[in-house]
Amino acid sequence: MSNPTVHEIKGTKDDLNYVSAKRPVHSDPSPDAKPLPKVTIDGKTYEFKPGDTIMEVAERYKIHKEIPRYCYHPGLPVAGTCRMCTVEVEKAPKLMTSCSTPAGDGMIVHTSSEKVLKSRNGVQDFLLTNHPLDCPVCDKAGECKLQDYTFQYGPSASNFKEEKRVYDEATTKLLSDKITLNMNRCVHCERCVRFTDDVTKTHDLVMVNRGWHKELEATDPALGLTNNYQGCLTDFCPVGALTMNDFRFKKRAWFLTKKPSVCDRCSKGCNIEVHHDEDVVYRYTPIHNEMVNGHWMCDDGRVSYNDIMNPSRVISPLLNYENALHSTTLETLLGDLKNKIKASGNVQLVVGTDSTREEAALLKDKFSDAVGAKVNVAYFNGTNGVSTSKDDMKMDHLLIMKDKTPNTRGVEDEGLTALAGNEANADIVILFRNGRAGVPKLKSNQKVILWGVWNHDELKALPTTNILGVIPGLATMEKAGSFKNGDGIVQKFHPAINHRGGAVAAHQVVGVLKSLT
Amino acid sequence: MMYNNEHFEPVITPNVDKAGCDTLDFYLKNEDGYKALEKALKMKPAEVVDEVKKSNLRGRGGAGFPTGMKWSFMPAAPVDKDGKPKPKYLVCNADEGEPGTFKDRLIFTKTPHRMIEGMIIACHAIASNKGFIYVRGEWFKETRLMQKAIDDAYKAGYLGKNILGSGFDCDMVIYRGAGAYICGEETALLNSLEGKRGEPRLKPPFPAQVGAYGMPSCVNNVETFAAVPYIILKGWEKYAKMGTERSGGTRLLGVSGQVNKPGVYELPMNLSINDVIQVAGGVKGGKKLKAVIPGGASAPMLTAAECGVLTDYDSLAKAGTMAGSGGVIVIDETVSIVEAAYTLLKFYEHESCGQCSQCREGSHWLARMFKRILDGGGTQDDLDYIAKICGNMAGQTICAFADAVTGPALSSVKKFRHEFEELIRNGGLEKTRAHTHSYVTEGAHV
Repeated sequence: MSNPTVHEIKGTKDDLNYVSAKRPVHSDPSPDAKPLPKVTIDGKTYEFKPGDTIMEVAERYKIHKEIPRYCYHPGLPVAGTCRMCTVEVEKAPKLMTSCSTPAGDGMIVHTSSEKVLKSRNGVQDFLLTNHPLDCPVCDKAGECKLQDYTFQYGPSASNFKEEKRVYDEATTKLLSDKITLNMNRCVHCERCVRFTDDVTKTHDLVMVNRGWHKELEATDPALGLTNNYQGCLTDFCPVGALTMNDFRFKKRAWFLTKKPSVCDRCSKGCNIEVHHDEDVVYRYTPIHNEMVNGHWMCDDGRVSYNDIMNPSRVISPLLNYENALHSTTLETLLGDLKNKIKASGNVQLVVGTDSTREEAALLKDKFSDAVGAKVNVAYFNGTNGVSTSKDDMKMDHLLIMKDKTPNTRGVEDEGLTALAGNEANADIVILFRNGRAGVPKLKSNQKVILWGVWNHDELKALPTTNILGVIPGLATMEKAGSFKNGDGIVQKFHPAINHRGGAVAAHQVVGVLKSLT
Repeated sequence: MMYNNEHFEPVITPNVDKAGCDTLDFYLKNEDGYKALEKALKMKPAEVVDEVKKSNLRGRGGAGFPTGMKWSFMPAAPVDKDGKPKPKYLVCNADEGEPGTFKDRLIFTKTPHRMIEGMIIACHAIASNKGFIYVRGEWFKETRLMQKAIDDAYKAGYLGKNILGSGFDCDMVIYRGAGAYICGEETALLNSLEGKRGEPRLKPPFPAQVGAYGMPSCVNNVETFAAVPYIILKGWEKYAKMGTERSGGTRLLGVSGQVNKPGVYELPMNLSINDVIQVAGGVKGGKKLKAVIPGGASAPMLTAAECGVLTDYDSLAKAGTMAGSGGVIVIDETVSIVEAAYTLLKFYEHESCGQCSQCREGSHWLARMFKRILDGGGTQDDLDYIAKICGNMAGQTICAFADAVTGPALSSVKKFRHEFEELIRNGGLEKTRAHTHSYVTEGAHV
């Protein structure tokens, strides 16, 4: 086994509005080289790459938190319309938008001068005039830029005595089955429009009308949103105008604990943040990783926590007794299964490609020894017609991969071979999977042992008489390990939540099996 | 001389009162038509630019930027990233939408060939082979007339391939907008021309680098082009002499409001606003003058006492307002300034493109606030807050629209505060009218 570079998935204190891949730059130290230009921001001088905007220089040196923004997003083209990121540039007659103004050599920039603060206060004053201020029932409350910036820069009171603008038909409007629009809350930053134009390239959002009754609308209202990255709209919508139906009215944002993990819904391995309260997961959001997923993640991955939080997931050991599955203790179950495995002598262990690299290595090297019988180990993918990593391919220009398991390449690296003919050939088949890999074809007389993440619906698809038992295992976000994604990047992760049921880690099962006589 | 200016003669409008003045025959016979083009095509492009530069011609669209300088900003031989030469485009801004301005319409209907000739000369000067004429959506008849003029020019060989045997090719296309005021802003115009939402672009890059369809482009006003043939034919000195030190030539002023003879006048710039009102027959019905908006709706108002100011760019700027697009709106004593300002603000509320926060929300806020004051719900605090809102809008947005909104709003409160206070005290315009019998306007509204 080779030793690839392992990238640990790290959480981020920044939200996606602020994360950027820009890094500091340094002049070539050789005497002949031309030094890089320098800009002074808030009294400190920074080197930058020619062509950088003031915002990009700030991003390089992580001082960009000083510059609030609505329309600017590091992953989207510059619009320069919200006017929140304006800064004072010495010798410039007007305030300049830092997102669009190129930094110049010798430029002196103030991000928090009196003039700048007054302007920001003005923008806030304007944006709040027509905002409904329905924060108590708004899902964005707690992570809303309008709230944050009002707290930081905004006026404490408004003189707006006029009637507020109300979009009658767009107060609660479904743009698709995933996204709800509340136009009254919109601050017209148009990040969403630029996202569908430039990132997904589906062009499925437009602004109609102009001026103060400018309104967001699906390009084809009958069709609604059509892209597979709609959840991202809610990530970067600075207010609660675009909310994800999956999360609407589920949880106040401030109760959520955020832990980094990796999405196991396809071989891309998008870096995610698991948002949970008391180990109940409410949503996934992407973590920025330029190498893997940029700022985005797909909708299938985003809602895939529901499979793990599925109430019908098997979370206690089940043993077949008189053709029915009964809850029991792990020791009882494993003792019974070990005896049956030993007695059979023709056993195959099928490792799903949603297992971690560590699990694959453990099962290949230690399982036979633990059960005291020669067990043939193979891997199985079974998603989307994928057998080996050679079948994997990109499904669009962004992130979605054909292989719907996260670790096919990692499992192959461990020296496992693909299950021949996608069919198990043994009297007893042990299926180890984590809820993502497929189930191979089984013969009617084959006995199976199910191990890992299973739910009762999946169990029902198999003849109960053939199931010897179910060993509940940990899902990706509940365990530590590493995946090698479709691009060959190895990513290591730690448990994001604690498993509160009876499932145990694979190495513990192997340990117990070995200890049983 | 009538206007106390010995050098003055009409540059654009000498014959607009004659029958058939819009035809090619008339232009050729009576106005030395296309002689300037003949002359210009024998000159080098740089010489044409130089001539226009020296004439002190300034953009007549509103900003008053020196035209020759704008032309000289055009790159000589632009290439794309593969090293292939890029085309350059000339764009005529005929989206005359400023309330109170109607001078370009006169050129379109009465002397279209003058503008076409000016555009061909400009194309030659910036080495472009294509001119776009962006016409405001509401101009049905004007578009038809201009199209006919273009067709005639093609037939006569002034447009098309190898113009007048010089080897120079030039094509001209009319594009009608969809009726949005903001598309008069040059970059919004370019977006609209490309079929996009008419929203101003971020600058830089300026149109001279990245303009229509991503190519270097030069955008000028109708009146600017119409002045070019005269400059080329009669020489820059004659044109420059007519004007002031820093802006040459004559200006077309559209005088409207309560004057006896509203209309378009071609005047030298050494006249004061009061003179202009006299030229237009004086205030209607012998009433007292209250205020004048000197350069289209966006220009801050002048009080009657301030109307001694000259109509050239610099004098008006010095007086805190602007020459703008030459729409002089005369307001007499019977008009309520609050109502007049509200009429304009309602227009701005409707026409803001909605990109920038301050402009989108601010134009709406101001219009609603003025309405509330008119309806009797105003307070003294509102007047201070109007100044604050305007302060937060002006100079903060992508284009100058937000500044335009603050023109009528701020100047009306600043200069006619007593009228606002009167309305606030009396509980609105209707009640004030009933109490004082003032503000009862007969005839023309602003």
